[in-house]
Amino acid sequence: MKGKLACAVLLAPFFLLLVTVFLVPVGTAVWLSFFGADQPGLGFGPERTVFVGLRSYVAVLSDPTFLGSLLTVVLYCLIYIPLMVVGALTLALLLDSGVAKLRSWAQMGLYLPHAVPGIIAALIWLYLYTPGISPIIDLFAKADIRISFLGVDTVLPSIVNIALWSNLGYNMVIFYAALQAVPREVLEASVVDGAGPVKQAIRIKAPLVRAAIVTVTMFTLIWALQLFTEPVLLSQSTPMISTRFSPSMYIYDAAFTRNNYGLAAAASVILLAFTIALSYGVTRWTNRKAA
Amino acid sequence: MRLSRRTLLAAGLTAPLAACSTPQRRGAGGPVEITFWSALRGSQQVVDAFNSSQSRIRVIFQQIPSGLQGGYAKLSNAARAGNAPDVATIEYPQVPGFAIDGVARDITDLVTDRLKQKLLPQALKLTTFDNRVFSVPLDIEPMVLHYRADLFDQYGLRVPRTWDEFAELAKTVRDKDSAKRLVLFPTDGAMQFACFAWQAGAKWFDTAGGTWRVTMTDEPTRKVAAYWQRLIDDDLVFRNAVESRQSDAQIGQGLVVTRLTGAWDAGAQMRARPGQKGKWRIAPMPVWDEPAVGTHGGSTFAITKDSAQPEAAMEFIEWQVSDPAALTARLKSGTSSQYPVAPGLVETGSKAFPREYYGGQDVYQLFKQEADKVRDGWVWGPRMSATQRVMQDGFAKAGAGRTTLIEAVREAQNGTMPDLKALGLSTEEGER
Repeated sequence: MKGKLACAVLLAPFFLLLVTVFLVPVGTAVWLSFFGADQPGLGFGPERTVFVGLRSYVAVLSDPTFLGSLLTVVLYCLIYIPLMVVGALTLALLLDSGVAKLRSWAQMGLYLPHAVPGIIAALIWLYLYTPGISPIIDLFAKADIRISFLGVDTVLPSIVNIALWSNLGYNMVIFYAALQAVPREVLEASVVDGAGPVKQAIRIKAPLVRAAIVTVTMFTLIWALQLFTEPVLLSQSTPMISTRFSPSMYIYDAAFTRNNYGLAAAASVILLAFTIALSYGVTRWTNRKAA
Repeated sequence: MRLSRRTLLAAGLTAPLAACSTPQRRGAGGPVEITFWSALRGSQQVVDAFNSSQSRIRVIFQQIPSGLQGGYAKLSNAARAGNAPDVATIEYPQVPGFAIDGVARDITDLVTDRLKQKLLPQALKLTTFDNRVFSVPLDIEPMVLHYRADLFDQYGLRVPRTWDEFAELAKTVRDKDSAKRLVLFPTDGAMQFACFAWQAGAKWFDTAGGTWRVTMTDEPTRKVAAYWQRLIDDDLVFRNAVESRQSDAQIGQGLVVTRLTGAWDAGAQMRARPGQKGKWRIAPMPVWDEPAVGTHGGSTFAITKDSAQPEAAMEFIEWQVSDPAALTARLKSGTSSQYPVAPGLVETGSKAFPREYYGGQDVYQLFKQEADKVRDGWVWGPRMSATQRVMQDGFAKAGAGRTTLIEAVREAQNGTMPDLKALGLSTEEGER
């Protein structure tokens, strides 16, 4: 009895937060997506709230700008996630192998960008990317290389670069911690069997930190699908980032420029479903390989 | 009676405190207080003039950011929270949107015949939907051609009257000086493009059948898009944003020889580049075959659903749009050259607007002549800010050679329809 009470008290804060900051907003969004403030015909009459069924969902899914934003974010994930996972793992393996000197300095240097809030990071990079004020572009110009970080084709890689800079160190720390848990006797055995440091890293260490790789991939995916801060800030300097560049930007635009809360809610629910489906897919795929 | 030193001190102390307290709407005793939001320059001067002209109504003014910079979002949010100001400034393209959202109230019964007779009917038509008036226009801004008279003289150019002559001239200018161009095609200029289409007889939105009929790629629009596409493809015009440092440099360094923009911009140009005094003149916008123009810019005043004093609000609006003192106050702020919708004010504008910048030209007489040519039948859409943004996203790509202007217009329509459908409006798409 006493144990149950303690259990309830200790779990209460979690469930309270889960309900207030997750379930209630999700419920509100779902409700909003099925109702609309309608006026018949041209729309100049008095409004009344009515059940509109799947109308907002049909509108979102038939909106080429929304589908375009989904495509953009998928492309972004395809570039960003492999670079991130491979990059962070490589760095962690390098640090773990002892090849890198000044290990703690390297770790701190790589981790530090993660401590910079996303919006500040985007501002820093905005400065480095904007023609006319960027010292990097000036430097390239002196070498007679004309480079545009915010052009039609370069804008997505430029955003990937910001995300990598911000998160590489963080994920590297996760991998590094996982590598610490690899039993030393296994590594010694592999050395006895004649594995060099490279072979050891790829064949022994990497497979042993699979669980960490799956976790990082999953979190990176969920984070990437919500792409918002970086493109919103960069859009101040380039017309190549439209107001509906990513799904999150589409939702923001629908709610606050178009005053179309039904549409924004439907798009949010679709993005949530899309994220859940992809995460589930990743889990299933990795579990199947494990089996 | 002599006031003691103490009473004076007390008065001095309480006055600032009273100014800090939140404004209260007073009853029959004191003046009625109404609130007014605007992004228009010179509004404070206009409000001051109104407040000192009478003692029944006191207007409390708040300067807000311009529409797409956050002004419209602020107004929408305030209306959602139930504390929108009594009077708000809304540009023509956004009037139907705010009317549909129920922010701008139906003021048909408040607009008296006396007021109607003072205003240009073509302006009032743009704020009337479904036979109901939703806002009162302040100014109507026919697009005009600003040109560098000094450069025209230097190169021996003639002011183009038709678009064919304009295209010819574009070639001549580039041939005379390869660094210069006749004009800028603004990649952030969906509103300029709308004006070109309007002039040519396009009808992007039509409400005649009791349903929103959307036809953004109609024949006149295709003609206009093809015309500018050719100028872009032949590298005869600059193509970048007009709201940019690049554009400022093009104008400042005399690289761009003409500007196509609303009448209001004469004042803005004067303020932004005092150094170019005497170099600019203004001519009518080039035409196709009929003498018609479209408008670019212009504002209206709406009374919001939250106003508790609609009659007082309407009195203030009527004064703003039709009293000579209002126009004089606005022009005195030195930043505006708005063309009033009340023809009775043109003389006032003509007198109050300084002529030196445009070499002594009486620009108001030109605006008057152009305002009469504004083509009838144009209707703005229910979500114009969004339509505009999608179109400009496309224009930016078209400027970089990645798509075409007409494709950008088509994308704007495709990106607008889901919006209108999700709002529950009755819609229909015309020819594609």
